[in-house]
Amino acid sequence: MKTIVVTTIFIILSTSAFAKTTLSWWQFWTDPNIKPVIEEMVSEFEKQNPDIDVELTDLTWANGHEKIVIAFASGTGPDIVELGSDWIAEFAVNGHLYDITSDISSTKSEYAGWGMSTYNDKIYAKPWFLGTRVVFANRALLNKAGYDSTFAPVTFTQFKEAVYKIDSLDKNIYGFGSNTAEKHRLYKKFLPFFWSYGATIFDDENRLCLVASDFAIKALQFYKDIHDSCGYVDTQRGIEDAFLDGKIGLIISGDWLLKRIENENRKFNLVSSLIPGEKYPGRSFLGGEFLAINKASDKKEAAVKFIDFITSPDNQVKFCKANRSANPSSKTACQDPYFASNVHLQTFIKQMNLAKHPPVDPDWVFIEEAIEKAVEEALFGDGLPATAMLEARYKIEEIKNK
Amino acid sequence: MIKRKSSAFLFVLPWVVTLFLFWVYPIIYSFIIGFTDRQLLSKDYSWVGIANYTKLLSDQQFLLALKNTMIFVVGTIPLTTVIALVLALLVNKQFKGRAIFRAGFFLPSITSMVVIALIFTNLYQRGGYIAMLAEMVGYTAPQNGFLFDKATALYSIMGMDIWMAVGYYMLIFLSGLKSIPDELYEAAEISGASKIKQFFSITLPLLKPVMLFIIVINSIKSFQVFVEIFVMTKGKFETATIVYYIYEMGLTTKFNFGYASAAAYILFFIIAFFSLFQFYLMRKRNTAW
Repeated sequence: MKTIVVTTIFIILSTSAFAKTTLSWWQFWTDPNIKPVIEEMVSEFEKQNPDIDVELTDLTWANGHEKIVIAFASGTGPDIVELGSDWIAEFAVNGHLYDITSDISSTKSEYAGWGMSTYNDKIYAKPWFLGTRVVFANRALLNKAGYDSTFAPVTFTQFKEAVYKIDSLDKNIYGFGSNTAEKHRLYKKFLPFFWSYGATIFDDENRLCLVASDFAIKALQFYKDIHDSCGYVDTQRGIEDAFLDGKIGLIISGDWLLKRIENENRKFNLVSSLIPGEKYPGRSFLGGEFLAINKASDKKEAAVKFIDFITSPDNQVKFCKANRSANPSSKTACQDPYFASNVHLQTFIKQMNLAKHPPVDPDWVFIEEAIEKAVEEALFGDGLPATAMLEARYKIEEIKNK
Repeated sequence: MIKRKSSAFLFVLPWVVTLFLFWVYPIIYSFIIGFTDRQLLSKDYSWVGIANYTKLLSDQQFLLALKNTMIFVVGTIPLTTVIALVLALLVNKQFKGRAIFRAGFFLPSITSMVVIALIFTNLYQRGGYIAMLAEMVGYTAPQNGFLFDKATALYSIMGMDIWMAVGYYMLIFLSGLKSIPDELYEAAEISGASKIKQFFSITLPLLKPVMLFIIVINSIKSFQVFVEIFVMTKGKFETATIVYYIYEMGLTTKFNFGYASAAAYILFFIIAFFSLFQFYLMRKRNTAW
């Protein structure tokens, strides 16, 4: 009997000593160019940490957010999850994310983008990749419109002039690619103008809503002018198709367009430049992908280790090369020669440092909707920019005072 | 006997369990949370009484969705019913190639709504075939396409919906026409009744139960219109309907379950009211016909 008990205890102790920790990680990168890189990173991590296994689950942008919400609500969330920057506050405020403030304190200064994952002075996710928007122009159309081969719009007046001149070239040529009323997209196109005109959504204390300020109204009026007179209105994809087909002079877009041009082997004389501004350069929209840890996870230490590994400068560069993108959150990674090798990637790196993210607010989805509605009213409805923005302000105040 | 009864019970048990778990329970649960401020991500919620219902009745987005749904119902049901009846009368006649026409009209209704919506999204776009056809008959198509214009977006979706639905209802009318005895028409012919008189005195009254079925089924379907809105406009350009509003409020980014449940129950009461009203009207006219 004694032997059996001792053997059982020995077996239990030995198995638990060698038991592996399995981390579940939900992420959005399913692109055939990227997924192998992600898997390679995971294998490398497992090799370096033989006691940890990582179980990957792919999400899609179409319904990933819903899946994450349902998983957290039902207590079946993964240990680590990739979150879009504007989702962090809603999960943090409901107590689903682990506060990583103390875990990242030693490396915090090496990364950018913390503002998007900080809520009530606590950090809930580590920035992985950032995203911004820049101006893309068709050089051939700029030349036809009389501009020399070094021109890029710097001020709003120059931007508008270029848009109008290109638009007047032909009835099938449009000056500006203007997004239709697409949810979660339209506001990202408007905000660069909004911020570059000096407008803000809230005051510094995040209390007073300022979306109906003179700056904001001027920004919407400017956007409306180029939309009404020279806009090719379509979905983001439709605008990019038309732009690459040479039908549009200037668009605002992200670095995915660079990958598309390369993947589709397009011969395109592309100009990329920073967002224009009253004071050049202007401020663009900043978003990003973050890695967060489930508060209910019992493997937080391993999860922190994994996040540190995945977001390391080397892995970020590896990822950006595979994705043809220029959005590392690591400041060291930004210095890599790869980003200096391409003028367009450089534009993104520069713009990223001059970009601004929306407020970190659990009600952001409602605030975003109010701003988008105002833009839609001005562009596609009968609303004047001033009344549309005033309506947005009332709506946002109602949301904040609920 | 007891053994037979218990085995019968065992056979229906899986269905009963499924019914209660996935149908009865959610219906009761959603009715209850309609009186709370339940949000999916939040663990805490409280009883708010009828606040969700009163708030909905002053919510501009909900009221717009309600208006759009009513336009959709009122605009599609009469047209779908009339066109389906006309088509059924036409394909009920003997002519060469009749089977091809019947199959052709019916084909859209067995095709996936998502596929049809995607095809029509292309047809309706700037420079698309419908814009070209419209311009051929002298109508200036919206500059950015039919779906990116408030004045045309909802009506364009309604047009597609009618096109898609008529084949199915035509088939139901056809089965109704087949059940009318030929003797009635022969007697009417002998009495000298014209074709129009025969239609209004024989065909239409005898098709009444079929028509009631079609109107009720089509009303319920139209009140619940969602897929075409989701695929074609995502509720933009004033095309959001109640079900789309419920989806947006409860299942996409907001997850406001309590509020969305209250909206769902308002829709339920509207559908119930209209269905009962339609039954009442048809019964009342029964005596007139």
